[in-house]
Amino acid sequence: MPGAIAAERARGSRFAGLTGALEKRAAEWMRRRQGVEQLPVTLERRRLYILPTRGGLAFAALLFLMLLAGLNYANSLALFLTFLLGGFTLVVMQQCHRNLLGTEVASTNIPAVFAGSTATLQLTLANSGAAARPGLEAALVRGQRVAADLPAGGRQRLELPVAAPRRGLLRIERLRLSSAWPFGLFRVWTWVHTPIDILVYPRPHGSLPMPSESARSAGSRSPAGAGGDEWAGLRPFRDGDSPRQVDWKAYAREAPLLVKEYVQGASELRLFELAQLAQLDEEARLSQLARWVVDAEARGERYGLILPGLRIAPDRGPEHRHRCLAALALFGLEDARR
Amino acid sequence: MSATVPAAQRAGVPLAPLLWTCAAFGGGVLLHADRVPPWAAATALLFIAWRLLAARRRSGHPGIVARAVLALILVAAVLARFHTLNGLAAGTTLLLLMGGLKLLETRAPRDEFVMIAAGLFLLLAACLDRQDLARTPLYSLHAWLCCAALAVVAAPTTSVRAALSLAGRALLIAVPLALLLFVFFPRLPGAFWAIPRGDLALSGLSDTMTPGSIGLLATSYDPVFRVQFSGPMPPAPQRYWRGPVLHEFDGQSWRHGGAAEHAPPAREYLGVPYHYRVQLEATRQRWWFALDTLLQAPDSRASLLYDGQLLGAAPLTDPVSFEAVSYTHTRSRGALDERALREETSLPGSGNPRTRALAQAWRARAGSDERIVQTALDYLRTGGFVYSLEPERLGSDAIDEFLFRTRVGFCGHYASAFVVLMRAAGIPARVVTGYLGGEWIPFGGYLLVRQSEAHAWAEVWLTGSGWTRVDPTAVVAPERLQRGILDLLPQELPVRERLLHASPWLTHLLQRWDATNAWWTNHVLRFDYESQLDVLSRLGVRAPDARYLGWAFMAALCGWLLIIARQVGRDMLPARPDALGRAYARLCRKLERVAVRAPHQGPLDFAAVLTARRPDLIDSVRPLLVRYAHLRYAPPDPVTHEREIEAFRRAVRDFRSPRTRGER
Repeated sequence: MPGAIAAERARGSRFAGLTGALEKRAAEWMRRRQGVEQLPVTLERRRLYILPTRGGLAFAALLFLMLLAGLNYANSLALFLTFLLGGFTLVVMQQCHRNLLGTEVASTNIPAVFAGSTATLQLTLANSGAAARPGLEAALVRGQRVAADLPAGGRQRLELPVAAPRRGLLRIERLRLSSAWPFGLFRVWTWVHTPIDILVYPRPHGSLPMPSESARSAGSRSPAGAGGDEWAGLRPFRDGDSPRQVDWKAYAREAPLLVKEYVQGASELRLFELAQLAQLDEEARLSQLARWVVDAEARGERYGLILPGLRIAPDRGPEHRHRCLAALALFGLEDARR
Repeated sequence: MSATVPAAQRAGVPLAPLLWTCAAFGGGVLLHADRVPPWAAATALLFIAWRLLAARRRSGHPGIVARAVLALILVAAVLARFHTLNGLAAGTTLLLLMGGLKLLETRAPRDEFVMIAAGLFLLLAACLDRQDLARTPLYSLHAWLCCAALAVVAAPTTSVRAALSLAGRALLIAVPLALLLFVFFPRLPGAFWAIPRGDLALSGLSDTMTPGSIGLLATSYDPVFRVQFSGPMPPAPQRYWRGPVLHEFDGQSWRHGGAAEHAPPAREYLGVPYHYRVQLEATRQRWWFALDTLLQAPDSRASLLYDGQLLGAAPLTDPVSFEAVSYTHTRSRGALDERALREETSLPGSGNPRTRALAQAWRARAGSDERIVQTALDYLRTGGFVYSLEPERLGSDAIDEFLFRTRVGFCGHYASAFVVLMRAAGIPARVVTGYLGGEWIPFGGYLLVRQSEAHAWAEVWLTGSGWTRVDPTAVVAPERLQRGILDLLPQELPVRERLLHASPWLTHLLQRWDATNAWWTNHVLRFDYESQLDVLSRLGVRAPDARYLGWAFMAALCGWLLIIARQVGRDMLPARPDALGRAYARLCRKLERVAVRAPHQGPLDFAAVLTARRPDLIDSVRPLLVRYAHLRYAPPDPVTHEREIEAFRRAVRDFRSPRTRGER
């Protein structure tokens, strides 16, 4: 995706470097001006920016022509029409500004995802104003715009897709709220600088068999991915779950995507170690480890993780899984955490 | 999740923006429907219908070749009709047609935006074309429609009601600013770019006259000009408003003729000077109308010709107003110069033999020119002539037929026949067209002259007196001098005009309406730089000039913007905290150095955090926070609540921000 953006920029303008630098400057200026924010943020006047859209500029040109015609012919009715539409434009500017003014960005939430998939930034907007706010749009830098209509006193959750190409911490510096409502002649926008870190797990990938030796037990193992033998129940689908474990029958009955969980004999216990996978390169090793962690958790086995300088004792459960995957995600990227 | 991507919305309801776009453009077409060639308006409307049909069937859009061919044909048609693409009429027609064609290829919101802009431009053209008060509601509606269409194109899910209310409210808020700008925006003294206004001619007098042509005007109720006298008013029989003077006769019709300008003979002015102001409607003609004989040209935009008519520099596309001084009686003691004499006695080489014979017989018998004039008038008075709006059609020897056979005619017939008789008898004579009379409008205190008052009379040159007005119609129908044509020949008028005129109540209403129109023309349409300076001086500016206009303009704009910014954004920010909330916020600020209250923490939680961190504050801070919780959440005691809040406020004010441990 960054490559695509760069290509697009290069296509877009011969002065790509210049506009890029300007954009960066402007972003820095706004950031300095507003500071780092804590949610909830109320959009007050000093942080709203407004400019005419292309349509607005065209409308202004039309008004200028009308003014010339009215002045040229000293035609009172034409002049009054021009002034009326000019006043209309200014009112529209105020209405557009007001549409965003006082909106609250209540919270953001973003669950961790696996590399290569699309993360979803959940953003809650609240309107404590006396009027509805139609046509709000939220977007990440160069991201897709997602629209919302906030009734008076209402709140709404938006979901913004974020591509997560690589493992590690994906930092979203700022997000943009904007609106061209009601006439599309102006666009008011603001940047919310609320640094959001998205933890991106390595992509679970690799076909090496799970190490069979375990610290305490050498009990029988079922083939990888086939699940355990003891029915434990259903749980919601999570990224990385094997499709073979999904309860497709339930899904066909319009139930949410559920995963059948089986519990292996509690005796099963595995230790995954990075050093064991010397034949692969580092990313592939991390992917393979992630695969094992996901599979082991899915089967209800107890598993531990040994990385250089880090040892996670065997356990199981969602929190344990997250700890392991997070350790894999950030492995070798310590400086990214600051 | 109810949030959707705009693109998806568009796909769901593609028709609403298109319908609104068509309405905005179609409204513009209808504004011009009676002014452009009928085929052009019909074609534009046809395009709209085509586009709507294509949208319903989701097919039938013409290809690019078809559109190009159509465009070429339409441009050619406009060129064939107007011989130019410049000018208001041709430009408007072209805009209608090309707009309609563009409508056929609208797909994206951008195209729809362009179409709405075209609708607004058509509205501008309509304003330039006609500025009648009666049309302004129509124009306002169209502006409203276009703005509402803009809202729908910008957000396709907007309902009809929401779009109309949004646009209507924004326009209403804009009206005060528009009025202020209208008054204070500096105007230009003259046009900087002249575009021909086209040939959208109105009915009215012209520089040719066939005997029947004036009768055509008689049924038109349209106002031509209004006159306000600042002194005495001439008596009704003297209210001859001079228009085109016609010198040349070709046997059928009279025209102004190509006579070279020659100096008028010196004249003396007799009787009372009449001072008055004329407000002339936009007649699209070059003639300016004034009372009989002007003392001098009243305005630099018009020149006074040798025959006493006032000719504007250009056709009147906007109303004008001028002040003038006139006399109704003059005398010239000198002689007419040779060329004028030749011009004013010339007749076609042949035709109308009986008329010529009659005039020559009079000449042979009579001793003086005055006698011949009198004989001719007696002939008309006693010859059984009838005054009528609907005379028979006349053949090639029109004057002969009229004088000796039909004997039924309108003022044009009498003036024409009389002048031919005079010229045949060797007396210099000419036809003068214009208006006679006028309706007194008591509400405005002015005289209203309508097209129906159109009249033609004659002037003869009498040695010793100079040009003398003779109205042959007056001997046939003397009451015409006192009353308008509508009173005189009611049975010959169309039903509508007759009804309008029959009811005193309607007449009254019409007069009021005209007074309103006069005000509109005078104070709104003709509001110019001079009027602006006048407003400034009334506002107390001693030496008004454009600079003050600029300042007033800026002040009006900024003041209005401030008010609007306050009003529009008023209810959108979260409510300001009440007194109790403000006091609490102040307390929290004072405690910031110890601990920052998290948004989710209530006062008691906060107290717990504070005292955990600083046990020494337990006596000073905790009671305050507990008090706040009590005031905020316990059911208020109606008697003491206010007082307690005030006490709490004071306690917070006196509370001293605790020093941090480091400072101690």
